[in-house]
Amino acid sequence: MDGDSSRPSRREVLRGALAAGASLTAAAALSACGAQGDVRRARSGDPWRQFAGATLNFISENTAPTAAIAANVRPFTDLTGINIKIVTLELNAVAQRVALDLASGGAEYQVIYADPYQILAPYRKGLVDLRTMQADPNLPKVPGGVGDFIPTQLDAAGRFVDPHAIYTLPYDAPTMIWQYRRDLFAKYHGRMAHDLGFDPTPGGDRTWEEYFKIAEWFNKNARSDVAYGTGHQARQHDSLMNDFSNVLWSYGGDYFDNGKKVGRLGAQDPGPCRLDSPAAIAAARFYDRLLGIADPASRTWDWDGLGAAMRAGRLAMCPNWHEYAATNEQVIPGKVDYAPLPKGPAGTANMYGGTGVAINANTRPHERGAAWLFIVWATAPATQLADLKSKAGGGTPTRTSVYRLPEVRAAEKRPSSMPNMLTASAVTQAWLPDRIGLRPKIPMWNECDTAIFTQLSRMLTGEASPEEAMRSTKKRIDRIVARGWVA
Amino acid sequence: MAHVADTSPVLHRPTRPETAARRPHIGFEGKMMTPGLIVLAALSIVPFLALIAMSFSRVRLLGGVRLEPAALRNWARFFTDTDMWMSWLRTVVYFVLTVGLEMILGVAIALCLQRVLRGRNILLSLVLLPMFAAPSIVGLLGRYLTDSTFGLYAWILRSLGFSGDVLGDPTSAFAAVVLMDVWEWTPLIALITLAGLSSVPQTVREAAAVDGASWWMTFRYIILPAISNVLLVALLIRSMDAIRYFDIIWVTTNGGPADATKIVPIRLYETAFRFFDLGYAAAIGLAMLAFSIFIARMFVRLLDTRGLTR
Repeated sequence: MDGDSSRPSRREVLRGALAAGASLTAAAALSACGAQGDVRRARSGDPWRQFAGATLNFISENTAPTAAIAANVRPFTDLTGINIKIVTLELNAVAQRVALDLASGGAEYQVIYADPYQILAPYRKGLVDLRTMQADPNLPKVPGGVGDFIPTQLDAAGRFVDPHAIYTLPYDAPTMIWQYRRDLFAKYHGRMAHDLGFDPTPGGDRTWEEYFKIAEWFNKNARSDVAYGTGHQARQHDSLMNDFSNVLWSYGGDYFDNGKKVGRLGAQDPGPCRLDSPAAIAAARFYDRLLGIADPASRTWDWDGLGAAMRAGRLAMCPNWHEYAATNEQVIPGKVDYAPLPKGPAGTANMYGGTGVAINANTRPHERGAAWLFIVWATAPATQLADLKSKAGGGTPTRTSVYRLPEVRAAEKRPSSMPNMLTASAVTQAWLPDRIGLRPKIPMWNECDTAIFTQLSRMLTGEASPEEAMRSTKKRIDRIVARGWVA
Repeated sequence: MAHVADTSPVLHRPTRPETAARRPHIGFEGKMMTPGLIVLAALSIVPFLALIAMSFSRVRLLGGVRLEPAALRNWARFFTDTDMWMSWLRTVVYFVLTVGLEMILGVAIALCLQRVLRGRNILLSLVLLPMFAAPSIVGLLGRYLTDSTFGLYAWILRSLGFSGDVLGDPTSAFAAVVLMDVWEWTPLIALITLAGLSSVPQTVREAAAVDGASWWMTFRYIILPAISNVLLVALLIRSMDAIRYFDIIWVTTNGGPADATKIVPIRLYETAFRFFDLGYAAAIGLAMLAFSIFIARMFVRLLDTRGLTR
């Protein structure tokens, strides 16, 4: 009996085996989760093929330029042997996933579509300073150098506070411009000029007051052609802040002191909000008046809804992102033309919404190298030219050299094989340093943005006067900024 | 003087067996439940404790989640945030309207369906259809139907003289999201009620009819008391859902216009996943949890008094 008791029973053996199995499985699962290996680096003479076999995940907003990249990614895989998986989502969802990925300490997404306001400013510590990649002798350089990027865009989309560090390479450049029905403006030009007492042709010389009068004229005189003279992206959404900001800046108002600097390079602490200034209140009053004669559905539209309404023939004109030109040409070919936004007492401002591509700082060294190859390729002049020609959409280039190419210049006029280039004349003016509209690049922008468009929405529904809306926005923004940002 | 019990050898028990008796005994059932309890702790108790800790902290994300003590700052903000209180008010109004309308319409539909003899199954299938759509799809449907450029409902309303935009006005937008939820979940109440109605004895109804009871009297004094317990359960299920309502509003109005549809779950999501203010979001989440428990307890107590929880 003694001998039997010292020997483990069958049940104990089974229990031990189960425990050992469970431990091994758990250990294997944990190591699989926590210790993802770096990609292999091949010792080949070709710097573009050194990471062949790697797979990268690129997370991006579901924009036309990314649609074009996704349709055109094969040449990159052929060139480098690197596979690219592209995840496209709505911008808020992108920002959310990136934040959670950075918080995990891992790099599920090695390449990030880094919106300057929702990702770069709050999480720049989670992004690689690309100067370190440029300085690596084993990696290819940016073709044409970073000086080839449009300077205002490199600063706005690629830097944060430090004027030397570069966190992203400018990848797309949507900018708000004046989109109008050229057929209707041609049809009614004489009558409108006679009735209004000025040349109504859209352009940088028009004022917002004249824009208002043109819209009102269409409301009264062209109902058989369009339902309303103007429409706006005034839903309680980021789009409302974008639409209002053009008016705010052109009236001389701004969100903070040194607005140009806070917009171009960004700031950790921008100081007190200035939306209670007389210029800002005057802008709010005008915007409220303008929306009073705009299509009432404007209060339900973001940029997509507005674009669809324009293409459906509801509107004679609207301020919207220039990248809708390609879709406009598909649906109503030859009927829409483009101009910089009207000016106010202090000049013109055209909201810039461009974004850069960045590398997750949690990547391992070789993975980071592979990600660098992708962002260099994705922003290269040859790729931007291919995107311009893409049937999948595409944006407009962020490189000055592409705009100088003869075939691109030829596409600025109809008939155009690159319809987004029809906006070139308007957007190249809009990107000049004194005309580009740059919202504050601060880490807590998301919350400030929400306060702005919520109070503007209250103003547009008659729940607050322009003065009350501006003052209550200022109060909220000051509170948000005072709380500071913890990332 | 010593008490007899203190000195009696009979009443004295040896120390060892007494200790053994007091030792918690994990029986076979306990052992079987242990893995489940561990999973439960991992899935709910640990996150719950983490949520409490977060509500007293500022949460850092980069380089791994870290908590920095913030004392009562998040809770003080919660109790002094007027926008938050407005959201609570909207949540309560929304809750009363959706659950109330669903109960009334659900019972009415069930009573009508019960009277239908031919084709009841086809009718029931049609009535139940909305319930099978995901809430976000219902939201998208609602958004497209009310879109003023190509929406069918917008077109019908325009031809009836409504000049505004359904989702562009605070009152109509709120009414629209309430109606979308009612459209989707009324069938559930109808289904539950129909099941309850089948348990009302036919003989009692016939006796009431013989006694000359009107339709209303039969409903008020016979049917309603008979199905009240079932209705209470339906109410509990829908209430728990209505408190967490999110998808349809997020898809259709995003909380607007003018915050008219920004109920607490929308604000919670925004605070947590747009502003990444996870400490404050934890405080809002805990308050929502307390509110849900309060509502659930209220219904469970009602069920308890009727002896339905045993």
